[in-house]
Amino acid sequence: MEPYRTHVMLCAGTGCVSNGSFRIKETLERELKKHNLQNEVAVVMTGCNGFCAQGPVMVVKPDDIFYQLLTDDDITHLVEEHFLKGRPVQKLMYTPPAEELPVPKMSDIGFFNKQRLIALRNRGMIDPEQIDEYIARDGYTALAKALNEMTPEQVIEEIKLSGLRGRGGAGFPTGRKWELARAAKGETKHIVCNADEGDPGAFMDRSIIESDPHSVLEGMIIGARAIGASYGHVYIRNEYPLARERLIKAIKQATDYGLLGKDIFGTGFDLDVSIHRGAGAFVCGEETSLIASLEGRAPEPRIRPPFPVESGIWDAPTNINNVETWANVPDIINRGAKWFSAIGTETSKGTKVFSVVGKVKNTGLVEVPMGITLREIVYDIGGGIPGDKEFKAVQTGGPSGGCIPQSLLDLPIDYEKLAEVGSIMGSGGLIVMDEDTCMVDVARYFLEFLKDESCGKCTACREGIDVMHGILVRICEGNGKEGDIEMLEELSEAVKDSSLCALGRTAPNPVISTIRYFRDEYEAHINDKSCPAGVCKALITYVINEEKCKGCRLCAKNCPQEAITGEVKMPHTIEQDKCIKCGVCFDVCKFDAVSVT
Amino acid sequence: MNQGNGQKVGAVLVVGGGVGGMQASLDLAEAGYKVYLVERGPSIGGVMAQLDKTFPTNDCAMCTLAPRMVDCGGHLNIEKLTYSEIESIEGTAGNFSVRIRKKARSVDPDKCTGCGECVEHCLVKNIVYLDQPGRAPVQIEESVRTKADRIIGRYDGDRETVVPILQDITDEFNWLPPDVLMRVSQEKQIPLEHILRIATFYKAFSLKPRGKHIVTVCMGTACHVKGAPRIMDRLERELGIKTGETTSDMRFTLESVRCIGCCGLSPVITIGDDLYGKVNPVEAAAILDKYQD
Ligand SMILES: Cc1cc2nc3c(=O)[nH]c(=O)nc-3n(C[C@H](O)[C@H](O)[C@H](O)COP(=O)(O)O)c2cc1C
Ligand code: FES
Repeated sequence: MEPYRTHVMLCAGTGCVSNGSFRIKETLERELKKHNLQNEVAVVMTGCNGFCAQGPVMVVKPDDIFYQLLTDDDITHLVEEHFLKGRPVQKLMYTPPAEELPVPKMSDIGFFNKQRLIALRNRGMIDPEQIDEYIARDGYTALAKALNEMTPEQVIEEIKLSGLRGRGGAGFPTGRKWELARAAKGETKHIVCNADEGDPGAFMDRSIIESDPHSVLEGMIIGARAIGASYGHVYIRNEYPLARERLIKAIKQATDYGLLGKDIFGTGFDLDVSIHRGAGAFVCGEETSLIASLEGRAPEPRIRPPFPVESGIWDAPTNINNVETWANVPDIINRGAKWFSAIGTETSKGTKVFSVVGKVKNTGLVEVPMGITLREIVYDIGGGIPGDKEFKAVQTGGPSGGCIPQSLLDLPIDYEKLAEVGSIMGSGGLIVMDEDTCMVDVARYFLEFLKDESCGKCTACREGIDVMHGILVRICEGNGKEGDIEMLEELSEAVKDSSLCALGRTAPNPVISTIRYFRDEYEAHINDKSCPAGVCKALITYVINEEKCKGCRLCAKNCPQEAITGEVKMPHTIEQDKCIKCGVCFDVCKFDAVSVT
Repeated sequence: MNQGNGQKVGAVLVVGGGVGGMQASLDLAEAGYKVYLVERGPSIGGVMAQLDKTFPTNDCAMCTLAPRMVDCGGHLNIEKLTYSEIESIEGTAGNFSVRIRKKARSVDPDKCTGCGECVEHCLVKNIVYLDQPGRAPVQIEESVRTKADRIIGRYDGDRETVVPILQDITDEFNWLPPDVLMRVSQEKQIPLEHILRIATFYKAFSLKPRGKHIVTVCMGTACHVKGAPRIMDRLERELGIKTGETTSDMRFTLESVRCIGCCGLSPVITIGDDLYGKVNPVEAAAILDKYQD
């Protein structure tokens, strides 16, 4: 690369882009030019760096200084101070919640230094739109190795030994799947990269593709060669335009370099990769449904067996893996199975990317070794709960998963441990909930989601979820009855046992786990008609604390119902019969005088 | 069945040639009775032919129906009286006389090979049974048609092209206008029913016109726990519409989405291509003002 003195790695993931990182890039380049530094300082637009909550963020290399929450106005100052005078700007650095002084170096920040990057190894280090930068960081060396030095059987053996398991949810051993696909009879074979990421609250697949699309492609090429597939497909969500765009560019570049297409590396092996755009249906993430969608049929799952490895796209053997699974492959081939299997726990090897979101200070994307405890993720990496609130639960596994309560915070995370406590690994969404989150409402939320997303093919799932949702709505509205909890439990069993695909079979999980750990909240809703967390509209009232109210009239002005009365500078009151519980007064109050009971 | 004059007739009349009638006829015919199967329509089969699957086993309807139709069609003990109606019934159990009106078909069934040539050439097509949607030229505005044809021309292939085509139509028109869908059906030779099935399955497609600005509130889990429902409530009130509706001036359409992968910034709303993170209901309402053009 050109001999620049300094590289500025400015994040261009979706989060930071929406916070104006491209505008910042322009300002930065303009300012650098003004000081005639454009030949000394290079601005690189990288993929998501993970620390989305503090966006837009940038890292100055080689000093490793981390700047956050940048605005256009800061840039002038920053360029002058840091790049001209060589004095890092303290006020733009990150200050961890528990500390007073900012931490200048990225590698010293708790959010980053507990992480172990494999799937995200290039995040924030390269410009994802330049294949040369990927290659400069050992990109495509694993492919060369797999093609020139290893037989397909050896590649599969290596993946098997590494203990890599599918990162898409179920955790099926990847090597075993490849072996089955290789053994399956068929003239043509397909591989699919599942980037449908339907799990709400998870965005690791998006981030991997946005920050390092070539690692996924390389994994796919290695896999295709091991299996003997000549067609590759990427099924990507409609909601991810940036990721799609970067992938299209990556495929084009790889084809230009002869890494895709006909006769790759002169070995006579061909692979074409095409991109398919989803259209907003959760069930399309399920593999048989994904295949139906690719073929243009109505995307309804079908009974397995036959599994896709035997009969998938156009009845040909098809190997489906998740984005993160594919992204792990090149590193395993490069560094060996032994290295990979040394990380993690007995049954779950390697690392897992989690999106730590919800009521936590440092929201963002983290990659951690398997076996790390929830406490480390929530407190050491996530920085704890904002506003001194009490931690209540984490939800993992999306709509198929469950809620894990405080008592299990020291649980080491792996596939089996999570299943034991009634949740699943899922695709890696980790939603932190605090005392202000109502668990009955969370269960209702997930069932509403699943009710909408159930494809309607099988009765148990379509009708069962609908009835369960109805009961939960009733409970949230304060019309719960004695026996509702037992009814939910019974229905859960029925839906679990008789649904056709995993969507229905796992749908009751959010209900079962919340009843298991938070039965008291259900009982409070049903017996006392109260919502302890203050969420369920029908069961709460907004009141103004007379002592705290300064009488600024802000709430009264904003109230859509004109339900707030009171003189200027005198405490206001809410007329409860007019109140529609929209919460505007709560949001606008500058003195914390409005409370929910 | 030994009544009246003591004579028993070894023949049974089955009324209605649906799946029940056919099965009854087959059972009786197998047991050795002569069966007269009367059906009002021009063909046996009934409504089951219109179903995709049946309750509660999810069996494919056609797979149940088709073998029975073939068996009934060829069974020597079954005499099919299609396009026929019963006029009167006399007698008692075991010995009935039935008057049946056989309507004029104007085709000699013994000679017909079912080639379908007469349908092609008929000037007054039999709408109910044989009209194929999209056969008649679709009425469509010139400019719209050029756009539609350009999109259709991008994709080569059969049904697997439906989703990409519908996506491009949505990008172009913001919704799926019916005349354009008919054009797709006609050009691609894909039944309109299939296209509508796909169009209604996915969230990304709308069969109603949508407004100039599409306001989307993320209702994913991270956004939900951070108060997305209250943002949605507020926007619904602000715009005076419910989720999924469009304001009468066609300016805003309000929609919800389940996670757009920016959970680090939750709660999130998007308006067109612009994304706003960490908003509260009051701010969300204020953002709308920027789009009042
Ligand atoms: C309802 C449902 C939704 C799913 N959604 C996804 C998804 O969004 N992304 C994904 O990779 N796998 C998803 N899966 C899992 C896939 O069916 C499949 O197991 C996975 O893609 C296999 O890849 P892996 O072995 O690498 O995990 C889903 C499964 C179900 C039942
Ligand atoms: S939950 Fe709203 S962006 Fe993910």
